Amino acid sequence: MFISLQWLREFVPYTGTVQDLADRLTMQGLEVEAILDPFASIAKIVVGHVVDRAQHPEADKLSVCTVDVGGPEALQIVCGAPNVAKGQNVPVALMGTTMPGGMEIKKAKLRGVVSCGMICSERELGLSEEHAGIMVLPAEFKPGQLLVDALKLEREVIEVSITPNRADCLSVLGIAREAALGFGLPLSMPKLNLVEDEGAGDATKVVRIDIADGELCPVYRARVLTGASIGKSPDWMRYRLLAIGQRPISNIVDVTNYILMELGQPLHAFDRTLLKGDVIRVAPAKDGQSITTLDGAERKLLGSDLLIWDAERPVALAGVMGGANSSISDASTEVLLECAIFRPGTIRKTARRLALPSEASYRFERGVDQVGSLFALNRAAQLMAEVSGARVLKGIACAEPKPWADRSHIFRIDRCNALLGLNLTPEFCRTTLTGLGCGVDFPNEGADPACWQVSSPSHRLDLEREVDLFEECGRVHGLDRIPAVLPKISKALDSVQLSDTEFGFLQGLKAWAVGAGLREAVNYSFVGTDDLDRLNLPVEGRIMIANPLSEDQNVLRLEIAPGLLNNVRHNLSQGNASLRLFEVAKAFVADPASDTSARENSRLGLLVHGARHSQEWPWEQGEADYLDAKGLVENLLTHYRLGSADYVLEPGHAYLEPCVRVELPGKNGPTLIGRIGRVQPKIADAYHARKDIWLADLDADLLRSLTRATKPVFKSLPKFPPVRRDVTVICPATLKASEVEAAIRELKPKLLESLALVAVYAPEGSPERNLTFRLTYRHAERTLVDKEVDKEHGKVLGGLPQKLPVRI
Amino acid sequence: MLKSFLEGLDGLTLECEARRGQACSLKDLEALRVEFLGRKGKLAGAMVALAQMGPEDKPAAGKKANEVKTALTALLESRQAELEAESAQGALAGFDPSLPGRRPAPGSLHPVTLAMQEICEVLTGLGFEVVAGPEVENDWNNFEALNMPPDHPARDMQDTLYVSENIVLRTHTSPLQVRTMMSRKPPVAVIAPGKVYRRDSDITHTPMFHQIEALLVDTNVSMADLRGTLTAFVRQLFSPDTKVRFRPSFFPFTEPSAELDISCVLCGGEGHVAGAPCRVCKRTGWVEIGGCGMVDPNVFRQVGYDPETVTGFAFGLGVERVAMLKYGIGDLRMFFENDVRFLEQFS
Repeated sequence: MFISLQWLREFVPYTGTVQDLADRLTMQGLEVEAILDPFASIAKIVVGHVVDRAQHPEADKLSVCTVDVGGPEALQIVCGAPNVAKGQNVPVALMGTTMPGGMEIKKAKLRGVVSCGMICSERELGLSEEHAGIMVLPAEFKPGQLLVDALKLEREVIEVSITPNRADCLSVLGIAREAALGFGLPLSMPKLNLVEDEGAGDATKVVRIDIADGELCPVYRARVLTGASIGKSPDWMRYRLLAIGQRPISNIVDVTNYILMELGQPLHAFDRTLLKGDVIRVAPAKDGQSITTLDGAERKLLGSDLLIWDAERPVALAGVMGGANSSISDASTEVLLECAIFRPGTIRKTARRLALPSEASYRFERGVDQVGSLFALNRAAQLMAEVSGARVLKGIACAEPKPWADRSHIFRIDRCNALLGLNLTPEFCRTTLTGLGCGVDFPNEGADPACWQVSSPSHRLDLEREVDLFEECGRVHGLDRIPAVLPKISKALDSVQLSDTEFGFLQGLKAWAVGAGLREAVNYSFVGTDDLDRLNLPVEGRIMIANPLSEDQNVLRLEIAPGLLNNVRHNLSQGNASLRLFEVAKAFVADPASDTSARENSRLGLLVHGARHSQEWPWEQGEADYLDAKGLVENLLTHYRLGSADYVLEPGHAYLEPCVRVELPGKNGPTLIGRIGRVQPKIADAYHARKDIWLADLDADLLRSLTRATKPVFKSLPKFPPVRRDVTVICPATLKASEVEAAIRELKPKLLESLALVAVYAPEGSPERNLTFRLTYRHAERTLVDKEVDKEHGKVLGGLPQKLPVRI
Repeated sequence: MLKSFLEGLDGLTLECEARRGQACSLKDLEALRVEFLGRKGKLAGAMVALAQMGPEDKPAAGKKANEVKTALTALLESRQAELEAESAQGALAGFDPSLPGRRPAPGSLHPVTLAMQEICEVLTGLGFEVVAGPEVENDWNNFEALNMPPDHPARDMQDTLYVSENIVLRTHTSPLQVRTMMSRKPPVAVIAPGKVYRRDSDITHTPMFHQIEALLVDTNVSMADLRGTLTAFVRQLFSPDTKVRFRPSFFPFTEPSAELDISCVLCGGEGHVAGAPCRVCKRTGWVEIGGCGMVDPNVFRQVGYDPETVTGFAFGLGVERVAMLKYGIGDLRMFFENDVRFLEQFS
C-alpha cells in the first residue's frame, strides 16, 4: 500500500527523512518495499507565463506564443490548443524534457515556425483525462517555478507491505499511529467540522436500517446528503489520490476513496433517488440470484453472499462492490452514504469466488475498526458537503445489533520476558501498551502485581490474546535486540539416529550414486499430462493439479522417468551429448485409502546415454548399453548387501524395450525392486535422442526396508587352496547365460564354491556363441587332489549337453 | 701340478673379468655363467684335477678353488646389477607420467542437496533430529492446524496448488510441525527438509522449491534460544562473522514472528563491494533467508499441547536461497534445468 508522507504529516508531526521513517517502520514489522516519487515523470515541467499570443501565419488552429519561463529570454512556442491566451500561466515542457508518455521535447518547426517547447494539457501530464485544451494555472504561480512545487504535489510516497494481521495499517491513520509509536510523537486526528442542516430534514426519518443477522453485519450507519453537485474534486484531493495510485472519478466517489485511504473505512455512496422505499436491508442473497455490479458485470450469487437491499431489490454486494442500479452518476444530487462493518469471512468468500477483489473487500476481509467507523462517516459527510455543495441531513440512520465490546486479557510480565528472552521493565510495558491504545488496569492491592488486565483497542483486531501483547512489547522494544542464547536440547534415550531416518538413507543412496559416477538431477514433481501420455502411462492413478500454472505442470509424476527424460532433451539441445544422471524423488499415485489421497513412493532413477566413458584416451570408446545400466544396479545391490537379483525380461512395458525386471529372490517369492530398460526408440526420438537411453527405476523405500534387515556377517577365511577349472560352452545365441549357469548349479557338482562367467565370444552372424565359465572348487578342511576335482568337473562336462542344446 | 692348477684357476678369473663386459644382456650373462660356473663349465672342468691331487696339496688347491668360485660369482653378479640398472633406466625413459589417467566418471550432488546436507549437518550437530512427511498434504495439516482457518486472509500469503478442495501440495514444510507434535510428547527438537510447492513462477520464484523447517518445543524455550540457535547455525553455514537480524513480521503459526535476515555474504553487510553497490543485498547490507518465531499457542492447542506449560520456536529456510548465496548462483531457474555443465560445477 502507498502512503504519502505529506498526508501522513497531517496526523503526526514527523520531521525526519523519508528514509529514516522507512527504516523505522520496517523494523517495527511494516516492511517498506520502496520509496517513490509519484510525479517523477513531470518533475521537469515548469510554470510559464504567456507574454504574448499571435496567430500562426500558415495555420488557423495554431497559436505562436511567447512564453516567459523564468529565464533571461522568453521562448517561442507553437501551441495547438484553442484555449491558450495571453496572460495565462501554463505548464511548459522545455526542450530536452521527456514526457510521461516517453516523447522527448525537441526544438521543432511547425508549419515553418520554430517552437522551443510544449505547453501541456492535464492529460499530457497524467494529471487527469482533460485534453480539450492546455492546463491553465493559477495567476499567482511564478514563471520558471517547477510545476510539482507550484502545485504542491507529493514527492515522497512509501510503498509498505502490510501483513494480513495488520488491517489497522491499511490507512494513513494506521501508519501514522505506528510512526507516532516509533518516534514518540503525538497523534492528532483531523478536526471534525460537520455542519448538519436541520432544515434539510432528519436522516433517521428518511431511511430505516434493517439488519437480518448481527453476526454478518454488526453495524450499519448511513448519512443522507441533499443538493450535491457532481463534478471534479478539488485539485488537492485529486492530486493526493493520484499520488497514491488512485484514479480520481468525481467528487462524491473521490471522497469515499479518500476516506478509505485515510482512515481505512470503506464507504459506499448510493444515489438515493434510485433507492426504492425508505429502508436499507442487510441480508444474504438467495441462491441463484444475481446482481449487476457497477462495473456492468452480472454476478451469480449464492446464499452465502451478503447483499444490501432497498425496499425491493439488492442494490449492492455488501463490502465488495456497489450495484449498477443505484450508483452515483453525473446527474445525482441526493446521496445516501453507507458506512458499515461486515463479517470478514463472508466478504472474503464472496470476493474470492467472484474474483472481485477491491480496496473495500481487502479491508473488510481483514477487519475494520468498528468504533472508528463513526468518525469516518462524519468526516466523509463533511468532505462531501465541502466538495459538492451538498447539505447534510441531521442525524444518522443506524442499526448496531452487535456493538463493539472491549476485549480484555491478562498480561503477565514474567511470562512476556520468559517468552521473549528479555528483561523488559513494567514501566516499558505499560508505556508501550498504553501507546498502542490499550487500556491497562493494575491489580488491586493484595492481588498478583505482575498480572495486569489489558484491553485492546478496537482498531487492533489482531490483539486477541496475551501472547499478542507480548509480541507488541517485543516489537516496540525491537525484536532485533533479543540476545542470542544457545538452548540445551534435551533428547529422549530412544530418539532416532540420523542414519536410520528416511532422510539419512536417501542421503546415503545419493552418496552411492555420486560414487558410481552419476550426476544428481532435481526435477519438478509435476509434469504435463502430455509427458505421461507420451510414455503410455495409465490414466488411472494420476493425481491432477486442480489449478495448475500451465498445462506442462498439471499432473504429479507417476514415475521418475518423465523428469529425467526432459533433462535428456534439455542437455542434448545444449550439446551435452553424454549423460549419466540420477534422481531421488517421489512418485505419486492416487490412493483413496490415504488421508492425503496419494501414495508417495521414493524412487531412485538412473539414466545413461551416449558415450560410456570420457571421450579421452585411454578409455575404449563405446556407447552406454544394458550392461552399464545393469552394472549400476548390481553394484547398488552389492553396496546394500542385498545379494544378487534375478533379471527377468518383461514384454509389453509401456515405454521400455527391452524391459528387465529386477527381482530379489525370497522365501515368499520374488520381490520386485525396479526395472531396467531402454526407452523405446520412438519415444526417445520425442526427446531428440538418436542414441539409446538406458534407464533404471528402483524403489528406494523398498531398498531402505530391505537394507535395514541385513547386516554384515563375518565368515572365516578359507585355509586351503582352491582349484579352478574353466569350461567353454558352445550354445545357441538365444540361450541365456543365466540358463547355462542354472543348469550347472542343478548338476550339483560337490565342492563347487563359486561360478563366474569369464568370457563371451559371439562371432558376428553366427547362430552360436561361446560362454566360458570358471568353476572354483574348494574343500574346507584339506587340499584337493586333481582326481577328485576331475570327477566333479566331469559331471558338469558330461551333464550339460544332456540338459541343454549345447556342446562343450 | 699344484702350480699349474693354481695358474689355471687364476686364468679363469682373468678370462671372466675380460669377457663379462661383452655380455650385453641378461641372456648373454647367463650363457657366460653357464660357461664358467655351470655343471659342465670351466670351473667344474678344472675341479677334475683337484680330485687326483695328493692329500698334501688338496687343502691349498681346495681353498683356491673356493676363492675363484666366489670371485667369478661376484664378477658375474656385479655385471648383472649393471645390466639391470641399464634396463630399468631404459624403461623409465619411456614412462610418461603426463598421460591422462583412467579416470572413473565423476559424480556430483545437486547444489540443493549440497546445501540441504550442510544445513542438516549443522542442525543435527546442535541436537535436532530429521523427520520427513508427505508432499501431498491435507488442508488441516497444511493450514488449519497452523492457525490458518478457511477464509483467513493469511492464506493469501501463499498461492496454493490444489489437488482437490481439501488436498494441497504442501506450501511449506510446516505441516511436519503438526505431524511431529501429533505423534510425540514434548520435548521435541526436529528439522524437516523437503520439497514445497507454490502457485508462483517468475524470475525469483519457481513452483517447486526446498525448505528446511526446525521446531524446538520444551518448557521455557525463549526467543533468545531461537536467536542463539540461528546465530550458531548461520555462523557455521556461512562464516563466523555472519550476523543475524530479526525483523518483525507475521506468520499465522508463530507469535511473535520475524523475518530472518543475515548480513550480506557478498559485501559483509557493507552494502557495497569495491565502491559499487552490492548486487546481492541491493545496498541494504542484509539478505532474507527465512522466517521464524515462537510457536503460536493456537498451534499447541490444535496438536494437544498445553501452551501454559510448553513454549517453542520454529524457523524455516529457503534452501535454494541458501545455495544461491553460498555458491553465488544468480538464476533460480538453473536449479531445475539440470544442465550437466551446471551440475558438474558442484562435483
